Amino acid sequence: MIELFRRLARSPQGAIGVAIVTLALMIVVLGPLLAPHSPEGLYPLLRYKGPGAGHWFGTDQYGRDILSRLLYGARATVVMAFLATALGTTAGAVIGTTSAFLGGRADEAIMRTIDAIMSVPSLLFALLIVNLLGKSSLNALIAVGIAFTPSMARVTRSVALAVRQQDYVNAAVARGESSAYVVVREMLPNVVAPIIVEMTIRVSFAVMLFATLSFLGLGAQPPAPEWGLMVSEGRRFMHLNAWMIIWPSLAIATVAIGFNLLGDGLRDVLNPRT
Amino acid sequence: MTPVLEIRSYTLDYALPKDRFRALEAIDLAIDRGQVLGLVGESGSGKTSLAWAIMRHLPANAREISGEIRLAGEDLRTKTPAEIAAIRGRRISMVFQDPSTSLNPTLPLGEQLAEVLVRHRGLTPKQAWTEGEAMLDRVGLARPADMMHRYPHEASGGEKQRVVIATAFACQPECIIFDEPTTALDVITARQILDLFANLQRETAVASLYISHDLAVVASVADRVAVIHRGRLVEEGVIAEVFSAPRDEYTKRLIAAVPRPDRRLAGAHAVPSAAPLIEMRGISVEYGRPSLIADLLGRSRRRVTGNREVNLSILPGEIMGVVGESGSGKSTLARALVGLNRYDGEVVFAGHRIVGVADMDRRYRRDVQIVFQHPDSSLNPRQRVGEILSRPLRLYGEGGAPGRDTLIAELLAQVRLSADFVRRYPHQLSGGEKQRVAIARAFASRPKLVICDEITSSLDVSVQAAVVELLIDLQRRYGTAYMFITHDLNLVRQIAHRVAVMYRGELVELLTIDELSAGPRHPYTRSLIDAVPAPAG
Repeated sequence: MIELFRRLARSPQGAIGVAIVTLALMIVVLGPLLAPHSPEGLYPLLRYKGPGAGHWFGTDQYGRDILSRLLYGARATVVMAFLATALGTTAGAVIGTTSAFLGGRADEAIMRTIDAIMSVPSLLFALLIVNLLGKSSLNALIAVGIAFTPSMARVTRSVALAVRQQDYVNAAVARGESSAYVVVREMLPNVVAPIIVEMTIRVSFAVMLFATLSFLGLGAQPPAPEWGLMVSEGRRFMHLNAWMIIWPSLAIATVAIGFNLLGDGLRDVLNPRT
Repeated sequence: MTPVLEIRSYTLDYALPKDRFRALEAIDLAIDRGQVLGLVGESGSGKTSLAWAIMRHLPANAREISGEIRLAGEDLRTKTPAEIAAIRGRRISMVFQDPSTSLNPTLPLGEQLAEVLVRHRGLTPKQAWTEGEAMLDRVGLARPADMMHRYPHEASGGEKQRVVIATAFACQPECIIFDEPTTALDVITARQILDLFANLQRETAVASLYISHDLAVVASVADRVAVIHRGRLVEEGVIAEVFSAPRDEYTKRLIAAVPRPDRRLAGAHAVPSAAPLIEMRGISVEYGRPSLIADLLGRSRRRVTGNREVNLSILPGEIMGVVGESGSGKSTLARALVGLNRYDGEVVFAGHRIVGVADMDRRYRRDVQIVFQHPDSSLNPRQRVGEILSRPLRLYGEGGAPGRDTLIAELLAQVRLSADFVRRYPHQLSGGEKQRVAIARAFASRPKLVICDEITSSLDVSVQAAVVELLIDLQRRYGTAYMFITHDLNLVRQIAHRVAVMYRGELVELLTIDELSAGPRHPYTRSLIDAVPAPAG
C-alpha cells in the first residue's frame, strides 16, 4: 500500500491528484470544524459581499458565508459522488464479469440490454430515474449509480473476457466449482485493477452529474450547502455578486480534476507492465 | 582471418529500482564465416539479452559495463544510431521465435519482404517485388507469387517462418541471429525449417548464432556450441566433444536432463486384463457456437471440428501418451473430458455413463483432474498457494477445517516444496515451482486419472526432468492413471505405456510402447518419429 503511494507520487499527475484528493478528503472530515461561520447563519446586513476580511470568500443573497457553505457542502458533494460511483461500479463489475463468464446467449442478451441503456445519455437517464423516484439526495445517488452501471459493466466485461481464458478459471470450472465462486473469487479479484482506475475517473463525472442534478433542482434541496445547488441558486444573483458562482464552480472543477489525475496516475501504477 | 562476429569480455547489467542485475558477464564469443554457433541456455540465462546486445537494441535500463562487439572487425558499440540502422537488416539480421508476432498483420507478406530490399539494397519497388518472389522460391514456398500477396493470417506458421527467414537472408547479411526459430512450430514443420536452415547456411556461408534451449536441435544444426548459465559462458567447444564429454557441472546436468527414449522411467505395463478406468466412445467435439441471428437469417453456420469419433480407453494406473502436432485435437479432447468443451458421444467412467457436463458429478470431478500447460496462467495471481491448495480439499470435503493445514503441508511435501510456500503468491514462484503447485492441486483430491496437458513444454529441460520424475513417483505411489498429452516423442517413449497418435482431430493409431519402438504402421506416426531430432550426445 505504501509502495503504491510512493510509485503514485513519482508521476506528476499522480502526485497532484493525490494532493487534491487528500485535501478534499480532509475538508470532508474536518470542514465543519474549520468553517468560520454556520453554513445557514444569516447576516442580512452583509449580503452580496465580495471576498474580504470578515468573509474570505464573500457572502450570498441571504448574507451566508460562502466559505463556510463550501466547507460544509464538501460532505454532501464529494461523499455522495463517491458513493454513487461505488454503487455503479460494484453493480457494473458484477454484471460485466458474470456476463463474460456465462458467454454465449446469456452474454449476448445482457450486453445488448446494456447497449440499449447506454444509448440514453447518463444525465437524461439520471433525470428520468429521479423523476420516477422523487426528488431527494438519496434518489439522486441511486440515479447516478444506476446511470453509471452500464458503462462500467462494459469496461469490466472486456477485461473479464481476457481473464475468462486463463487456465485458473478453467481449472476452477473443471474442478466443479459453482458459477458464483468462479465469478466472485476467481475472476473479480483479477479485474479489479482496471476497474479502480475507471472508478476514480468516474468520481469526477459523478461530482459534475450531481452538480447538474442539483442545478436543475432535482438533487439536494435548499438550503443544503451542496455545491451544485449553490451554483444554481447563485445564478439569479450573478450580476450582484459573481463570486457566488465562481467559488463553488471552482471547488467542483478542482475536485473533478483531482480525481481525474488520480485515476491517470493509478492507471500507470496498477499496470504492472509499465 | 578475422571472425565475422566477435564478442570480447562483454558485460551487461540491468538497472533495477534498488540494485543492479548482472545479465551477462565477461562473454567471449567468435563466429567465423560459414560457421554456426549454437548458444544453449535455460530461460533467464541471458541468451536473448546477448542477441539484443548484438543487434544494438537494448532496453533503456541496460547498462553496458565493458567489452566489445565486433562485426568483421568494427566495434558496433561505437557506432551512431544512424550507422546501426544501416547495419541492421543489411549486415546482421535476426529471426525470431514466433513468426505470428514478428510479422506485421496489416501488411501483405510481399510488402514486408520487399521493404527490406528497397531499404538496404536500393532496389526499386518493382525490382524488389521480383527479387522477393525469387527469395520465397528459394526458401521452398510452393507458390511464391501468391504468397507475396497474402497477409500473415492467411499463411501457416511454417510458411510465415519461411518468409521471416527469406527476409533475414534477403540482403545477404554477414551474420544472422536465430532466436529459437522452431520453438513455436510443430515437430514436423520444425524439422522442415531446420532442413531449410541447413541448406541456406551451406549456400550463403553466413555466420549464424543459433539460440535455443533445445540441445537436440542445436546438436543437429550447429558446428560449435556455447553453453550459457546465469549470464556466464560455462563451456564452449565442438558439438560432439561438448555433448559426449562435457567438462562443466552445469553442462553435465543439462545433458543428463534431456529425455532419452532408451531410458525408461515408468515401470512395467499396467495390468492389461483390468477393466478400463475410463472409456471414451465416439467422442466428437465441434467448435463454433450457434448464432441466433444467423439461424434467423437461415445461414448455415460453419463449424470447426475439434475431434471426430475418438475411441480410447485408459486402464487404471496406466500412462497414456497422446501425441500429435498442434491443432490435432489433443487438448480439445482433454478439455472435453473435464467439461470445458461440449461433446457428442459418451464417456464411461468407473461404470457410469457420462454424456455431458450435467452428468459430471462431484465424484467424477474429484476422480478426474487436469493440469494445464502454462504454469503462469493456471494459478490465480491473487490467491496465496495455501488458498489455492485448500480449495479442492474444501470442495471435495477432504479433511475437516482443523486438519486442512497439515494436509496442505503434506501436499507441498509430496511435490517437494517446503511448507512455507503456503504464504507465497504465484508471482513469487518460478515456472517449475508453479507447475508443482498445480500438480499438488490436482493430487489434492486423490484422483484416479490426471490429465496432463503439455505440462512440461513451457519448462526448461532440467525443470522438465524434475517434474516428470515427480509425476512418475506420484504414479507409483498412488497408482494414478495419466493421460499425458505432449508433442515431445522422446519424453513419451520414456514414460508412456501406450501411445495414442492424433492427427486432424482423429485418433489415427494406438500402439503400445514396444510397438512404437518396433516401428509404427501409420504413415503419419512414422513421419512424426522421423521429424524428432535425435537426442544429443
